[in-house]
Amino acid sequence: MNHSTDLRRLSRRGLLGLGGLTAVGLTGAAWPRLTGTDIPSRNEDVLRIAIQGTAQDAAARQSLVDAFTEAHPDIPVRLQAIQSADWGDFFTKILTMTAAGTAPDVTYVATEGAQLFAERMAEPLDRWVDGDHTEVADYFEDVHPSLIESFMYDGSLYTLPLDFNAANMYLNLDTLRSSNLDFPSEDWDVEEFESMLRTMKEHQGTDFSPYYWTNRLFGGIVPWLYANDTSILREDRFDGGSWLWDRFYSADQVAERRGGYRWTTSNVSSDAVGETFEMLNRWVREGLSVRPEEGGGNALVGLFASSRIGATPAGGYWAQGLHEAGMAEDRFDVQYFPRWRSQRHQFGSAGYAMMRSSERKEQAWEWLKFTASKEGMELAFPSPETTPTRRSMATPEFYRETGPERWKVFYDTLDEFPDSGPIPAPPQQAEIENALARNVATAMGGSQAQLHDALDRLDGELTAAMESPA
Amino acid sequence: MISTDKPTGTPARRRSHRWFIALLLAPTLVGMGIFTILPILGSLVLAFFEWDLVSAPTFNGVDNFVALGADTTIRRAFINTIGFVAIAVTLQLALAMFLAVMIQSRMPNWLRLFFRSTFFFPLVLSAASVSIFMRYMFNEQFGVVNWMLNLVGISSVPWLTTQTGAAAVVIFVFVWQNFGFSFLILIGGLASIPKELHEAAEIDGASGWRHFRNITLPLISPSMLVASVTAMITALQVFDQPYVLTRGGPGDSTRSAVMVVFEAAFQRLEFGLASATGLVLMLIIMLITWGQFRLSRRLVFYQ
Repeated sequence: MNHSTDLRRLSRRGLLGLGGLTAVGLTGAAWPRLTGTDIPSRNEDVLRIAIQGTAQDAAARQSLVDAFTEAHPDIPVRLQAIQSADWGDFFTKILTMTAAGTAPDVTYVATEGAQLFAERMAEPLDRWVDGDHTEVADYFEDVHPSLIESFMYDGSLYTLPLDFNAANMYLNLDTLRSSNLDFPSEDWDVEEFESMLRTMKEHQGTDFSPYYWTNRLFGGIVPWLYANDTSILREDRFDGGSWLWDRFYSADQVAERRGGYRWTTSNVSSDAVGETFEMLNRWVREGLSVRPEEGGGNALVGLFASSRIGATPAGGYWAQGLHEAGMAEDRFDVQYFPRWRSQRHQFGSAGYAMMRSSERKEQAWEWLKFTASKEGMELAFPSPETTPTRRSMATPEFYRETGPERWKVFYDTLDEFPDSGPIPAPPQQAEIENALARNVATAMGGSQAQLHDALDRLDGELTAAMESPA
Repeated sequence: MISTDKPTGTPARRRSHRWFIALLLAPTLVGMGIFTILPILGSLVLAFFEWDLVSAPTFNGVDNFVALGADTTIRRAFINTIGFVAIAVTLQLALAMFLAVMIQSRMPNWLRLFFRSTFFFPLVLSAASVSIFMRYMFNEQFGVVNWMLNLVGISSVPWLTTQTGAAAVVIFVFVWQNFGFSFLILIGGLASIPKELHEAAEIDGASGWRHFRNITLPLISPSMLVASVTAMITALQVFDQPYVLTRGGPGDSTRSAVMVVFEAAFQRLEFGLASATGLVLMLIIMLITWGQFRLSRRLVFYQ
């Protein structure tokens, strides 16, 4: 055996040993990651609360967590921020966590997922609300029944909604002024709206769009359908709910309230739906409106703030957004959605839901109660990034820094138009939204014949979706 | 230095050598097993079940495959994908070949390096970021593309909101981002062609086209095979660009096969149907790749 062979054998053994040691070391170091034990709150005895957003969103709610911990030192809480593209994506991630046996105890749920959660994962709050009715009475007294009913499913309540947004109409005041237009009145109608768009178009440049809208369930075609007293789905109500209405509201406040919204089948073949689609199609063809943008309309704030858009539907959440985009209070304002056959508005809401799988339901209920208290909501919503569901929080002070001047429109929408309804989101919401988005895009992109084909197809797809299991 | 030659020593030494090879391969094999083979097997099983993540999976035979065949949206997505692959891969390879030949011709080395880096650069960007950026550029009302068209008197084009426009943009963005990879493969192939062949052809008075057809093309064919196989597989899996740019619309005009897998699994929670769709797509990819290799026996020349 010569010297060089010795070296080669030595280096091979050395390499083997080194490789083995490295592999063991890396595996050991990565063990918490590989087994998922480093995931915050996994295997910890804490109340796990999932919210949609980033770590920054969770940090922004730290004052709420601190206040809760001070009030309930025996209930440790951990917020889990779950990043997602939209509510649908968020709900899927929660479902995945549920399937993996790591479901949170409490989840922030929007109207889009209310019935999906009620059907599959959320615990009805009825007995908790009933048991603590004196503690939560002030909440119900302060919150409009429309918002409560939007979170009822088959007669049971699933969240105490904390924030909402109605589809109101934002108007660019710079554009109105330069087009010699007056601000519209509260009872303006679709004809006045169209006339306003035409005037804007005449006065503004080619890179200006009078009306801008997105292609989704909230703020897309649905507000126009509601204004025309129709919808993509036939709407009914579940029976029940009197256990709540009788206890917390006066009879005249809740005469029309039942046990939650029930969407039964497609309504696309109705004349009113066709009429609504035709109107928007015409606006697109005549250059009064953009074709609806897919996704969340990320460019919208910048375009509106730079006065390249005259009008767009949005809720109270936009006040803070426009303020942050540098838009002064005297450059934008908000009005109710224009009247057509009705002036029914669309709204979406959100609140914490207790998960059926949670083993900490008592603690979860304490969190729900605290976050629905005035103190909790003031901590959660320090600025108008959304509209708090408590009427008492809709104050001049809340909108002092951001505007708009007619901030009262946000909450008054519910009082003035008590027939306003939630986003049509049955448990099959993902299929409904997909079918709507792709067929609206086709309907708005072409001829009358293409529009009618798209409506026929939408009708078929919605019918199939509503017949599929919830 | 570690020898990889077959050992000629004692049987014990040969066994030790085999163990050594197995040890070196182990991390890759374990990784492939956990992250590739197991998920494929899982998909294979799941394709015969109905599962929504929350309820227990229930066996439903071939129902998912029947549903897949009956679903017009899925059929349309597969047709879109095949059409997309045909156009995008052809454009990608043609562009990569054209630029590779241009750059390989007389040009200072520093300029050649500059172009190589520039053409490869889009590939290192995230497809989602590129698509978001392009969505702004191709916005009908406010995009810079229409602004430039307007400058030269052409009216705005509804890029993302008409079926033809949306398909064109998705193809453009995909090709723009991916041609750099084919380009690098082809330029490597071009560099390996002996100069003597071109010199000899030049002495014989061959034209530029004859150079390309009779020397460059045959000798670069192995690189073309690699470039076309990788381009085809990447194109068949297209997702980011249509998802971010158009969400598959208008209508279903830009919906891809991978998008329907994603939508079935993560929007409708139909994991069985998603698995069945994914398996069919995998079979198509395997079939096309096999076809390419079969075809290469006649069209690819190895020196």
